[in-house]
Amino acid sequence: MSELYGRISEVLISGNIEEIKKLTQQALDGGTQAGEILGKGLLPGMDIVGQQFKACEMFIPEVLRSAKTMHAAMDILRPLLSESEMAGSGTLIIGTVEGDLHDIGKNLVAMMLEGAGFKVVNLGTDVKPQAFVEAAKEHKPNILGMSALLTTTMPKMGETINALKEAGIRDQIRVMAGGAPVTQDFVDEIGADAYGSNAAAAVEKAKAFVGR
Amino acid sequence: MRVNITDQRSPKFKVLSEDQIEMIYWAALEVLERTGGRVFHDEALDLFRQSDAVVTDGNRVRIPASMVERALKDYPGKITLARRDGKRTLHLEKDEVNFGTGSDCPFIYDRKTGQRRRYTFNDVAEAARIVDYLPKFDFFMSHGLVSDVPNPRTYDRHQFLAMVSNTTKPLILTSVDGEGLKDLYEMACLIRGSEEEFRINPLFIIYIEPSSPLNHTKDAVEKLLFSAEKGIPAIYTPCPSAGATAPATIAGMLVQDLAETFLGLVLSNLKKPGMPLIIGGVQTIMDMMTSTYSYGAPELALASAASTDISKWLGLPMFSTGGCSDSKTVDEQAAIEATLSLFTAMLSGASLIHDVGYLDSGLNGSLEMLVLCDEIIAMVKHIGRGVRVDEDSLALEVINRVGPGGQFLSEDHTLEHYRRDFWFPKLMDRSNVETWVAGGKKTLKERVEEKMNHILETHHPTPIDGTVMREMKKIIEKADKKAS
Repeated sequence: MSELYGRISEVLISGNIEEIKKLTQQALDGGTQAGEILGKGLLPGMDIVGQQFKACEMFIPEVLRSAKTMHAAMDILRPLLSESEMAGSGTLIIGTVEGDLHDIGKNLVAMMLEGAGFKVVNLGTDVKPQAFVEAAKEHKPNILGMSALLTTTMPKMGETINALKEAGIRDQIRVMAGGAPVTQDFVDEIGADAYGSNAAAAVEKAKAFVGR
Repeated sequence: MRVNITDQRSPKFKVLSEDQIEMIYWAALEVLERTGGRVFHDEALDLFRQSDAVVTDGNRVRIPASMVERALKDYPGKITLARRDGKRTLHLEKDEVNFGTGSDCPFIYDRKTGQRRRYTFNDVAEAARIVDYLPKFDFFMSHGLVSDVPNPRTYDRHQFLAMVSNTTKPLILTSVDGEGLKDLYEMACLIRGSEEEFRINPLFIIYIEPSSPLNHTKDAVEKLLFSAEKGIPAIYTPCPSAGATAPATIAGMLVQDLAETFLGLVLSNLKKPGMPLIIGGVQTIMDMMTSTYSYGAPELALASAASTDISKWLGLPMFSTGGCSDSKTVDEQAAIEATLSLFTAMLSGASLIHDVGYLDSGLNGSLEMLVLCDEIIAMVKHIGRGVRVDEDSLALEVINRVGPGGQFLSEDHTLEHYRRDFWFPKLMDRSNVETWVAGGKKTLKERVEEKMNHILETHHPTPIDGTVMREMKKIIEKADKKAS
């Protein structure tokens, strides 16, 4: 069994989508629970990817290839996972704030979070505060992430947090913010819970928020 | 008398052959026909719909090649800007190089505390004064982003005031949106005296940036349309990052970059033909280790030079990049990265080489770096002067007179020529070690700081006329009130 999990990790790290689909199906056909495959095969594999990235042994395109591979496996597992198993890996909504169309950083964070096993709802760009609130009500995420590149749109981050307060759901979600002009000081000012200085940092903080 | 001579008056440098340039050009036209771009502006979409362009899916615009080729004929290959006092000093013509700062860096290191903090009005004023003094800077872009303003949505008007009051050099401005540009234009026309005077002697170029890949935001488009209407020189260029918001290959990035600019070119042509338009951009890679948009990467230097080759072939002025760094401090890395990009940009013949003085991948607008780069630009330009070969410089008479074992130091020929042809360092130290030690063993960084402080203490540009100042401030107050 651990041989299979080891193989799954290997395939995840080398980013072979066809192989991972075969192995995942093989494991399920062999009677292994979806939750076990996720917890003992996929997530540890992505942890190693994360470690290799930190140690400068893997670069972003390879990490994303592994994340895509993870995604392919999750597509097979998701309908079979229990509610608690899904919730355990964490749900996150993310978007670029109103007035801003820049999204490469935000998309990188989203892809790496998916790679780390999170369910990510990407709201896109130019997301009004109210749209964040509606999405939060609909998806009930653990975390809400906001991104901005333009200093002229940074005030929308504070407005979004106020909108969450007004909707009465602020304390049900952890709020993270990032983007080139954003700093820890600014994040403290607006009352967000964490600052992600880059994608890897954002993933670490998100994992910490869901107790991983 | 020798006849049939061709002089090469400066080193020649080319990255792309004509065939390669053409391939990139045709590919850009292919992108516009096949993939197009998204345009988030109603009037622009109407203009496209009324033309031969194809608008689908609400705002997806595809443009036939013939529209681009026809439009290109209408754009000037020569744009000239004048200083605040009216002197025409900034010539954008093929292979005429000009250097200047970049815009809107959010952070600076506080000179007293060393702390990294947000840029203020006063910081931009200081940057302007330094650039006003430094001889190798031809234009000024704000360098920093004025953050101590009543409302972030009117920061551009305050920033313009900080800039135009503290330097007389021609400017490149950013604006929040069309409203912002209108106010900046109104203020500049007060300085020029009239819209006509501004049109013939523009004081500023407006910087406008579409969002790679292939998105043209409402704010960008409204600025472009207003510029077309008034004949305000505009830069309509993206900041692609290869591997992230553009293809990972330089050629692919340049193809997409051109397609983005060409959409703006066609659009402004539909609004009103003939506006002064500048192409190019900040063309570099996303660093795949750190996800940083890299200002120090050699790819930036290479891609900018290739892009300049294309601009010259198209007959349009080029907005290039150089003198910038990913280093967090003014150190060896900063000096190396800045020098590489300044050198290639100069050799490539780019009209506007901007972002000089950028640190921390464009997040920090360093005043010390401005002073250092002035020296680097001087050295680099000196190489650009080339080698003069004529009777006088071949020096046969003086060689014969000095003869074997003689010396040239006391010759008239040396006296005359060293003054004209040698470069005189202001910051680079060539003294012997004893002198250097006696002088306090100063490092380059220390010498740079000394010079920067000296400039700040002693240099003050001509102030603006009081009436004009009052009128400009009224425009700013009005904008602030409206925004709140």
